[in-house]
Amino acid sequence: MGAAGSKLEKALGDQFPEGERYFGLENFGNTCYCNSVLQALYFCVPFREQLLDYYANNKSIGDVEENLLTCLADLFSQISSQKKKTGVIAPKRFVQRLKKQNELFRSYMHQDAHEFLNFLLNELVDILEKEAQAVKSDPETSSPSDKTANGPKNAQANGALKEPLVTWVHKNFQGILTNETRCLRCETVTARDETFLDLSLDIEQNSSITSCLKNFSSTETLNAEDKFFCDKCCSLQEAQKRMKIKKPPHILVIHLKRFKYIEQLGRYKKLSYRVVFPLELKLSNTVEDADSEYSLFAVVVHVGSGPNHGHYVSLVKSHNHWLFFDDENVEMIDESAVQTFFGSAQEYSSNTDHGYILFYECLGSTSNKS
Amino acid sequence: MMMHNNGNNGYGNGVMTSASPTTTSLSSSSASANGQSTQQQQGLKTYFKTPEGRYKLHFEKTHPPGILPYSHGKSVSQITLAHLKEKPTQAGSASSSGASTSGGVRNAAARLLGVGGGNGSRALSFVGGNGASKAANGTSRSSSLAGSNGSHSMLNSNYDGKGTYLMFNVGDSLFVSDLNTHDKDPIKSLHFSTSNPICHSFDPEAKDGHDLLIGLNSGDVYSVSLRQQLQDVGKKLVGAQHYNKEGSVTNSRCTSVAWVPKADGTFVVAHADGNLYVYEKSKDGTGDTTFPVVKDQNQFSVAHARSSKSNPIARWHICQSSINGIAFSSDGAYLATVGRDGYLRVFDYQKEQLICGGKSYYGALLCCAWSMDGKYILTGGEDDLVTVWSMEDRKVVAWGEGHNSWVSGVAFDSYWSSPTSDGTEESVMYRFGSVGQDTQLLLWDLSMDEIVVPLRRCPPGGSPTFSTGSQSSHWDSICPVGTLQPAPSMRDVPKLSPLVAHRVHSEPLSGLIFTEESILTACREGYVKIWVRPSNSESQSSNPEIPVGNSSKELPPLPGKTGASSYKSVHLLIYSSNTFS
Repeated sequence: MGAAGSKLEKALGDQFPEGERYFGLENFGNTCYCNSVLQALYFCVPFREQLLDYYANNKSIGDVEENLLTCLADLFSQISSQKKKTGVIAPKRFVQRLKKQNELFRSYMHQDAHEFLNFLLNELVDILEKEAQAVKSDPETSSPSDKTANGPKNAQANGALKEPLVTWVHKNFQGILTNETRCLRCETVTARDETFLDLSLDIEQNSSITSCLKNFSSTETLNAEDKFFCDKCCSLQEAQKRMKIKKPPHILVIHLKRFKYIEQLGRYKKLSYRVVFPLELKLSNTVEDADSEYSLFAVVVHVGSGPNHGHYVSLVKSHNHWLFFDDENVEMIDESAVQTFFGSAQEYSSNTDHGYILFYECLGSTSNKS
Repeated sequence: MMMHNNGNNGYGNGVMTSASPTTTSLSSSSASANGQSTQQQQGLKTYFKTPEGRYKLHFEKTHPPGILPYSHGKSVSQITLAHLKEKPTQAGSASSSGASTSGGVRNAAARLLGVGGGNGSRALSFVGGNGASKAANGTSRSSSLAGSNGSHSMLNSNYDGKGTYLMFNVGDSLFVSDLNTHDKDPIKSLHFSTSNPICHSFDPEAKDGHDLLIGLNSGDVYSVSLRQQLQDVGKKLVGAQHYNKEGSVTNSRCTSVAWVPKADGTFVVAHADGNLYVYEKSKDGTGDTTFPVVKDQNQFSVAHARSSKSNPIARWHICQSSINGIAFSSDGAYLATVGRDGYLRVFDYQKEQLICGGKSYYGALLCCAWSMDGKYILTGGEDDLVTVWSMEDRKVVAWGEGHNSWVSGVAFDSYWSSPTSDGTEESVMYRFGSVGQDTQLLLWDLSMDEIVVPLRRCPPGGSPTFSTGSQSSHWDSICPVGTLQPAPSMRDVPKLSPLVAHRVHSEPLSGLIFTEESILTACREGYVKIWVRPSNSESQSSNPEIPVGNSSKELPPLPGKTGASSYKSVHLLIYSSNTFS
């Protein structure tokens, strides 16, 4: 491993980014689902920085009860404070905590990386919300943190008390979808908003993410058995429905629904479809034509032909270099290698490495209004 | 036709006009999502309909079955057409070296011989490379034409036809097929042992031997005579001139090669490192030039070789990332490049000057093509759009929406003439095509007088704050020479809808060529399909059954239920953001 580390250092040479660390993560028996997502999150720089800020602020408060958030913060700070530039770290505490917390991840079976990401982000949000509530209800505990904390975390927590709580996890990942339904009789549009931390997209063979996003927001007609109750007409009416993005998130996480339940088979099947994803992306299915540009910075890749077994690796862009993380191993790859993870145009193919979760970051963060 | 401005009415008429052609293909692709993709593969139709009639699958060309998919490696099949027509007058006058007989083989033989008399360095290169066998070949053929009867008849059968050859690369080979025969298999394969061929180009105006360029993954470039390759029985290049040998100038992958039109023997090679090199085939390839280090990676710069005798004669540093495609205007005055950075750049080739250019909506650009009159450039890329760039306006004048994946090939149909054109200047219509990684061929009509000037007002319901951030100002005036425009805003560019959308292959597509008789489509894996144009009689008979583009227009765009189902299948819909407001 040390040799591998030095190889990466050699490959990067004097281009090794100042202060950056590239560490592989040890696998504790089928924990690649976890490792691949952790690497993607670690190289989600705004998330990492805010987590490390949180960690720095929280440490001073004293001993907080261990939870997934503190374990994750601990792991990230462990990586970022390594003396060596490359190497391997064992995310032992984090994995133990994860297994303790959720029985789903307790077994040694193959787990779904997207399920893990979803669980983790929601868990982090829960913990932050609970903390904020505790601060609110107990002014005495809040006073020491007021004294010590001068970071942005505190300001956010205070500001968030007024409205529905928006944690820094929300600020990174949360977007708002609006579900517009237009009654075809009275033409009234009913809009219902919902928040999301990632978008799960249906995929088609030989399509692009752009096209999948369009399908996601395509108009659906509600008729026959599936009519819409219009409040204005006070009756069931035919209607058109579609989903658009009202507020695009800063970090756009796209989950490709590669595991599909096939009724005839009575089980899940992996779709190896070729779905191309550009390194830059703009959302066309927004309420307002925002034209804000996203840049791809991480891809969680599922390796294998079926849903119940296989392996996860991740591709990460850091300081304009692409890196390949496979548990303990870290390698530099060429940008053009990303296209080998699009999927296969033919159903039976030797290529089983398919992009599964895509992480895009909004480039012009200020343009993110509405 | 089919042009509509997205700014305020994209939902209604624009979508409806295109509804019927796209519905079929889209509903079928959604069927594949239900696990029926295998059936889909076989369900490819052997024809498609257009307002002027049916295009029928005429021939298919591919590589011999021996090649395993994994040996393809990363290379994508590209196609090139070559016309080896007889040029008796030219042969007689230009290379008036003894052999004055006409006929393909004799003609070629004359060249083999004639070369010796003409240009010393080339004669050396012909004989030099592969040594004895080739020399023997040449001798036997030229000394006794009767002896080469076998190959003569083979070639002759072709000359009786159109004399058109199709070249395509697959894996480590370049294949040559006779375009106008039923033979699926190539008549010639050229094997490259060191690296895969990536790109190729044929010069129909070549005055002497070398007319075919081949660029490799390793960065190496060869020029050869196609005729000479066809006369040889081996699998190796014969009489090749080798440039950038073993990466002596650059080891960056060749991405595109092109002969400079009307420049007799000058060609350019684009590389993945953002550089383009200019070569002259009359010059020696061995004494390679070295160029100074590029000072500013972000700036366009041209460096010339110090010695006038060696190749390459110039290096154009165009951008920092890969150049994905290049195209010369037909008069050779302008060179267009597209690349990983998403920019189209147009250069004055003689002046070596950047004239204009602009960025894709997002993502890399993959291909580009000129209209015959040099007024428009098409580009296609990772934003799934076909972009029409106007040289007059120096801006994007239309976006073609209809592909469900990246656009990998674009071309104008220079043989197509508008059925409605009555000779008046105003009604100039262009037909163009595009192929994509969605396995579809799309045909488009473009009539510039119907393009609505982009909106400068706010779309109804749009937030006024957004107009400040838009690039509308760029539409108002032509910017100074050499400036690259940023990506236009979605709202500012008129949209086109395809006339026809047809799934032509089961694999992502990589190439598209229009010929007088047909449309050629190629997929990445090296399958080429030749779609013959509708004949006059056919278009008459099939007229009643073309509800494709025209008659769907007559359907009133019902806002209600009937319209809804077709809305769903047409992806253009979601750009029309103001429908609900």
